[in-house]
Amino acid sequence: MKITFPHMGNVYIAAKFLMDGLGIDYVIPPLNSKRALEIGTLYSPEEICLPFKIMMGNYIESIEKGADTVILTGSCGPCRFGEYAELQMKILKKLGKNLDFIVFDLPSDIGFDELKRRIDKIALKSPKNKKEKVLALLDAYKIINLIDSLEAKAKYKAGYEKEKGECKRLLNECKKEVLKTNNPKEAISILKEYHRRIDNLKIDKSKNPIKVAIIGEIYTIIEPFSNLYIEDKLMDMGVSTKRTLSPSWWVYNTVLLSPLKLTARKIRKSAKEYLPIGIGGHGQECVGEAILSYKEGFDGAIQIFPLGCMPEIVSKSILPSISKDKDFPILSLVVDEMTGEAGYQTRIEAFIDLLERRRRYVLSRS
Amino acid sequence: MKVGIPKGLLYYKYKPFFNTFFEELGAEIIESPDTNKDILDLGSTLCTDEACLPIKVFHGHVEKIKDKCDLILIPRIMQIYKREFICPKFCGIPEMIENNIEDLPIITKAPIYLFSSDKFFKWAYETGKILTKNFFKIQKAFERAQNEQKKFKEGINDKGYALKVALIGHTYNIYDTFINMNVKNKLNKLGVGVITHEVVDDNVKYLEIKKLFKRPFWTFAREYYGFISYALKESLIDGIVYLSSFACGIDSVIVELIKLDFENVPFLLLKIDEHTGEAGFDTRIEAFVDMLSRRKRGNLA
Repeated sequence: MKITFPHMGNVYIAAKFLMDGLGIDYVIPPLNSKRALEIGTLYSPEEICLPFKIMMGNYIESIEKGADTVILTGSCGPCRFGEYAELQMKILKKLGKNLDFIVFDLPSDIGFDELKRRIDKIALKSPKNKKEKVLALLDAYKIINLIDSLEAKAKYKAGYEKEKGECKRLLNECKKEVLKTNNPKEAISILKEYHRRIDNLKIDKSKNPIKVAIIGEIYTIIEPFSNLYIEDKLMDMGVSTKRTLSPSWWVYNTVLLSPLKLTARKIRKSAKEYLPIGIGGHGQECVGEAILSYKEGFDGAIQIFPLGCMPEIVSKSILPSISKDKDFPILSLVVDEMTGEAGYQTRIEAFIDLLERRRRYVLSRS
Repeated sequence: MKVGIPKGLLYYKYKPFFNTFFEELGAEIIESPDTNKDILDLGSTLCTDEACLPIKVFHGHVEKIKDKCDLILIPRIMQIYKREFICPKFCGIPEMIENNIEDLPIITKAPIYLFSSDKFFKWAYETGKILTKNFFKIQKAFERAQNEQKKFKEGINDKGYALKVALIGHTYNIYDTFINMNVKNKLNKLGVGVITHEVVDDNVKYLEIKKLFKRPFWTFAREYYGFISYALKESLIDGIVYLSSFACGIDSVIVELIKLDFENVPFLLLKIDEHTGEAGFDTRIEAFVDMLSRRKRGNLA
């Protein structure tokens, strides 16, 4: 059994060390690229959303490297993501690639027995004993938290750095460095080391950079390839960014808190005024975060979602009202496989220009 | 009090209920006109660009009647069956309307869960409160309305045609003859009968979807897939005509599921949006019917 998984931001780093810890064979799909997208688009239904297409590309590139089992998380609606596994399995089968899909749905939908059976499919392949397995899982959780918080720090500090590009360089270096080892414990210490370095980075506190919150559909904001590396672009412009949704946020809120019905309480509470009911996907979170980032003194927010995303279309209709009521600029960007980089870049630059100009004139809040 | 009912989305499925309910509460009902060019244009201007045609059309209907009534019914239908959903946009439709259309009268915002009478009554009470203070009146109206709804027979099952196709699509696409350019008539004129999924019993559909890896969590997906699977097994149909609105998230999945699982069945996918031209539409239907009849002749020979 050779396990693979689709990309989503930093998930591959944690997944790699989880497999290392469990002693299971795995393939990390090549980092998302034009090729993955092109292959994925070729074999996907035309009107499905962008994440589906990129994920298909990941699978096929992994199969080329010998993978035969896919791990995927599931959901049971109302957003399309829950049906991904069913379709992807069928399409790959048609292509003559008989993969085993192990889908982790919430136990409320498939029952605890079924979930346990699916977990056992992987767990029983591991030569390690029970205690080691649990430790491996805990290490992976630590790693995803460390890498996500490191990234968040780097992206926020990018606006304050004395030497331009230092944050970005450190972050990229860290990702490269951490993949060199196969030992979860070593990975944790590398990550901690980079945390120290970022903390000790020389910053200019007198700077008052433009601050932007990234909100919207979870996959397209987490996976940098799908949003054409918007956060890197903003880092280059010296803009501080914040993004609440991350793989570790997802694990904490969906896996740990959802059985207690406590998922994203603060965000959902803020959304109440505009969208009182959860509509699936992360539509309510998107609205809540727009309001939270306004309250936290951000200059603006950028919403990103894939073409045709159902929950985000609802939040997109609501965002202009928030923008009007609170005098808070929000830019909505729609991405799909046809998004052109030049037009995209221009829109982001124009938005940042607008935020800068607002500061210089009477509209400023800070 | 004047209650406005927009003729869009699931109006076609639940009109007996809503009409009876408000009538029993003593309201004067103002229905929007059947969908027309004006409504479509209004809807496309007001609504978010990325939304699908039915949502835009619904915006148009609301805009058309908003000045004539005191209360507009915006049904936030969350779930029709237990553990199943419909489209996320339905769950957020009151917010979409509220933020896209200005100067609205009161709109109904309470969520509707149709699978249990108790939960459904909560909606009825929340909404009825606006019209009357009498609890029993609301209860009576609710019961009458539910009885009316039960009497309502949906579905099309044409008899006496040489060819028969399954017409699949959301209720609001199939029964709104303006946005689908009366596709049923077009098919009938070419000598093709139509059968829709409501004709087949729900229990049958539940059995048919068992062969899927995952229980579909959309009511629409279960209904269409189950119906097609059953109709093909019983040889009720010669082909499938799928009427889908552009950028419909649910259709993008169901269409693919049907195509992948029932490979050798003639399948015509008709996409409708605000730019659909009738000529191209006709040509595609004619070509499809030609193909069906040639196939049938070939099989008989």
